[in-house]
Amino acid sequence: MKRHGVRAAAVSLMLLGAATASPMAAAVDLPSDVDFPHRDSPEARVYRGSIVFSNYCVLCHGQNADGKGRAAKLYTPPPANLRKSDKTDEYKELIIRRGGAPMARSEFMPPWGAELTEEQISDVVSFLRSIAPEDAPR
Amino acid sequence: MLNKYLAFPLAFCALVSSALAANHVVEQKGKAFSVKSLNVKVGDSVEFVNADPFNHNVFSLSDIKTFDLGSYPQGQSKKVVFDKAGQAEVECAIHPDMILKVEVSE
Ligand code: HEC
Ligand SMILES: [Cu+2]
Repeated sequence: MKRHGVRAAAVSLMLLGAATASPMAAAVDLPSDVDFPHRDSPEARVYRGSIVFSNYCVLCHGQNADGKGRAAKLYTPPPANLRKSDKTDEYKELIIRRGGAPMARSEFMPPWGAELTEEQISDVVSFLRSIAPEDAPR
Repeated sequence: MLNKYLAFPLAFCALVSSALAANHVVEQKGKAFSVKSLNVKVGDSVEFVNADPFNHNVFSLSDIKTFDLGSYPQGQSKKVVFDKAGQAEVECAIHPDMILKVEVSE
């Protein structure tokens, strides 16, 4: 129980990234027998991507990524249901970076290229992959 | 029949009221609105000028006014007319911390 708490704390410190590397980390007495997900592991990317998503995307796409955010009613076509997306990672990255207009989609999908870092963009694409249908094209 | 007599006064009224309606300019700068709150009269417009080197958006889900002016780059501006009294919260879809309260009075 206690161990789990320490692990969770250590893991979240780690996942939150190098930028916030805190001296506190040194004070945590790490159990030696647990495997921490590496910063570049799929788990770490998906976790960080989910944070990006809940900061910037839920307004339109919804907490559940099903397109039912609080602002969704403003838009026709509606924000995409990202759990049902049949788009490739490459396409998603492009529309996230450039916004809907240059992709001949809704101009109300904002461009995020100037707002998010490269890492945040690739993390949120990993998160979207993790919730996409199994049979969606990669 | 009355039209002849009404036309001028009506046109005059329309002219006066549009002349009375003010335009309030708010800048989007440093990922914030240049003011936190704004008092306007019914019929006034608020113009949002993007002064940052990246896109901003303007939208509101308030009862008195629901709109989205889209996303636009530095130097561009968009306008919205508040045509009902009450309170509106104006937000930016790109920067969740940007909030402007607009108090619209008769
Ligand atoms: C202001 C509302 C709004 C916000 C905020 C928003 N989106 Fe969108 N998004 C849309 C709309 C509307 C569409 C649908 C465009 C269309 O169908 O033409 C869309 C479409 C998409 C698509 C295309 C999906 C597909 O299957 O075609 C992706 C991917 C996407 N958004 C990702 C994101 C991500 C990631 C974020 C946060 C960084 C985000 N969106 C934030 C409105 C928004
Ligand atoms: Cu903004």
